[in-house]
Amino acid sequence: MTTPLLQVSDLRTRFLTDDGAVQAVNGVSFDLHEGEALGIVGESGCGKSMTALSIMGLVPEPGRVVGGEIRFRGQDLLRMRAEDVREIRGRDIAMIFQDPLSSLNPVLRNGFQIEEAMLAHRDLSRRVSAERAVSLLKKVHVPAPEARAKDYPHQLSGGMRQRTMIAMGLANEPAVLIADEPTTALDVTVQAQILELLRELNRELRTAIIMITHNLGVVAGLCDRVIVMYAGQIVEEGPVDQIFERPQHPYTWALLRSVPRVDALRHERLRSIEGLPPDLIQPPSGCRFHPRCPFRVDRCFGDEPPLDPVGEGHRAACWVRMARAYDEMGAGSLVDVSPGAASGIHAAGEEARG
Amino acid sequence: MAEIDVVEPVPRPSAGEPLVRVEEVVKHFPARLGASVRAVDGLSFEVRRGECLGLVGESGCGKSTLGRLVAQLLPLTSGRIWFKDVDLSQLRGEKLRRQRREFQMIFQDPYASLDPRMTVGDIIAEPLDNFRVARGRVRNERVQELLRTVGLNPNFNNRYPHEFSGGQRQRIGIARALAVQPSLIVCDEPISALDVSIQGQIINLLQDLQRQFELTYLFIAHDLAVVRYISHRVMVMYLGKLVEVADSVQIYADPRHPYTAALLSAIPVPDPKVERKRRLVQLQGEIPSPISPPSGCRFHTRCPIARAPGVCSEEEPPLEEKSPGHWSACHFADEVGSVAPWARTASGGA
Repeated sequence: MTTPLLQVSDLRTRFLTDDGAVQAVNGVSFDLHEGEALGIVGESGCGKSMTALSIMGLVPEPGRVVGGEIRFRGQDLLRMRAEDVREIRGRDIAMIFQDPLSSLNPVLRNGFQIEEAMLAHRDLSRRVSAERAVSLLKKVHVPAPEARAKDYPHQLSGGMRQRTMIAMGLANEPAVLIADEPTTALDVTVQAQILELLRELNRELRTAIIMITHNLGVVAGLCDRVIVMYAGQIVEEGPVDQIFERPQHPYTWALLRSVPRVDALRHERLRSIEGLPPDLIQPPSGCRFHPRCPFRVDRCFGDEPPLDPVGEGHRAACWVRMARAYDEMGAGSLVDVSPGAASGIHAAGEEARG
Repeated sequence: MAEIDVVEPVPRPSAGEPLVRVEEVVKHFPARLGASVRAVDGLSFEVRRGECLGLVGESGCGKSTLGRLVAQLLPLTSGRIWFKDVDLSQLRGEKLRRQRREFQMIFQDPYASLDPRMTVGDIIAEPLDNFRVARGRVRNERVQELLRTVGLNPNFNNRYPHEFSGGQRQRIGIARALAVQPSLIVCDEPISALDVSIQGQIINLLQDLQRQFELTYLFIAHDLAVVRYISHRVMVMYLGKLVEVADSVQIYADPRHPYTAALLSAIPVPDPKVERKRRLVQLQGEIPSPISPPSGCRFHTRCPIARAPGVCSEEEPPLEEKSPGHWSACHFADEVGSVAPWARTASGGA
C-alpha cells in the first residue's frame, strides 16, 4: 500500500467557552489516499465540519486544535512554519463551502476571484491568469465563461456560484478538495449536476475529495469510503458498499433507516433515533451513543469502545455490533416499529427529546 | 404494471367529497415596471378529506405561495377556493376570519416561527385566544393536553422557545396548529431545517396525529423522497403550474411528465449499488423567470423530449387525466418512460 496523501491522527479540537471546553473533535484518525473520494457523514455538531476546518487551519475562535497530527505527504501541518503551511493550504488542499454567496466577495468580479486564488500561490501575468480563470469556468461547465468571468457573484444562480467556487478551488490543481455540504443549499436537479461535476473531477483529474455531508445518498453516489461521526468521534469507517449493506455500528444502522428512500416501494415506518445528540462539554461516559442506543449492554455505560477492525478495511467502535444485535437482540424485528413507538407520541408525560 | 406491496402507515381515504376545491387559482405579485411575478398561474385541484396531499417543486416554483393561498393567508388574484360548500374567495372580514380557523399552518423554520418573547403555553394557546375557543383553566388544560399529544412534557408550558431544540420547537409548532382542531393543516417544509435523525421523528409524529385525529394535510416540500413517503397523492409544480398529479406509488413507478422524471432521477439514494446504475435525466439551463415564463409548455426550454420549435413551444398542454387518477400536462406523456429508464425498471425495496 502506498503512503497516504493525508494522514490525520488523534486530532483534537476544542472550543473554550464560559461553560467549559467543548470537545468538538475528539481523537479523530483517518487516511486519505491519492485520488480517493472519502465521505464524512454525521448530524449537526458531530464534528465533521470542524475536522475539515482543522485540516485547513480555519477553526474559528474560540476554537483550537489542541492535539494530534495532520500529515500531508508526510509533513505535519500542525508543526510547520506558518508560511510553509500557507503554501500548502489553498494550493495543495482547497476547500469549498455550503453557501457560495457568502464565500464569494460581492464586490469583485467572478473571474478575478479565481485569479486571486492562483496569484496567491504563483507568479503569473494578469493576462495568463485571466485566461486560466476562463478555462477553469469552462472546465466546471459554466456556460459563456468569458461573459460570466466579468459578472459579479449576485448575477449568477446558486448552481453557477457553486461552480465558480469549485473553479476557484481547482485554480491551483489541488491534490485534495474538501467539500463541506456543497449541495445542501441547492435544488435537487442542480445538486445532481454539481455531484456529477465532482465525480468527473475525481475521475479525470484524480483530485482526492473529502465530501462532508449529512446526506447519505450523496455519499453513496460519490464516495469510495465513508467515515461516520458521532459526538466528535469516528464511530464507523469503511468501504461504502460494506457500510451501506452491513453497517456494524447501531448509529450508522439507525441513520440509514431514518431516511425515506425515493425508490422504496413499500411504505415502512421510518426508524427514528430517539433523543438528542449529547452535550459535548460533558459527553456521556462509556460509549457516547449509549443513551440513544437500542442495543446497549452494561459495558457501554462505563467503557469507551475502541475503533476496531470488523472486516476488510472496515472499523467500528461498538461493544455489541450489529451482527450480534441481529443474532441475539432481534434487530431485524425492530425495523417495522409499532405505530407510535418511534414518534414519542406514546411516551405520555415523558419528554420527547426530538 | 406489477402489483405493488403497499403497507401504508396512514390508511388511504376513499375518494369522496373533496374537503377543499381549488379552481383556476392565480396569484400575481407586482414587480418592477408594471410587470408581475406570476407565482401561481392558473391551477386547479382538490384536497380529499383525510388524505395527505404532497406538493413538490424547486425553489421559486410557487409551492409556498400556493400553500398560503389555500391556508387563506393571502388573497387570490383570481380563481376560487371552495371549502365544503363555501366559496372562500367571496368572503371578507369577520366571515372569512371565522373560516380561517379551519386552516392552520406548520412552518419550515422552527426558530423564526415561534415568538421568542412568548411562553410555549401562550404560543400554543394563541389560536384558542384568537378564536375565543377557551379561557382560564380550560385553556391551560387544553395547552397541557396538546403538549402531551405532540410528545412534550405538559409542564413545559411556562418555558420559552430558546430552551428547546429544533425538533422540539417543531413539535410546539405542530401543537399550535392542532389547537383549534382545523380541517386542513398546510405543512410548509416542516422537516427541511431538522437533522436527519430528527426528521424521522417528526414525520412519524405527523402520521400518528393524522391517524389519531383524522387530519387532512397539504404537505409541501422540495424533497420528493419525503413527500412520496408521507403522501397518498403527489402534485408536482413547475413555474406556477401543476405538471403532474398522481398517486404516490404511481408517480414514482411511472412518471408521466419529464420534469417529474428529472426530479426523481436527481434524488440521491442511500445505496451505492442503486447509485451506480442511476441515470440522470439531464435538464438544460435553469429555471426561467416567473415574470416572463416561456411560451407554450413552460418546461419546453429545459425538456429532454420537447418538440421546439413545434407544438411544445406553441401550445400550452392542459393537465389531463392520462390514466385513472393520473394527471399530466405534457404533449408527449407517453414518451416519458423513454427518458426515465431508472424510474421504470427500479426494483426498489425499503
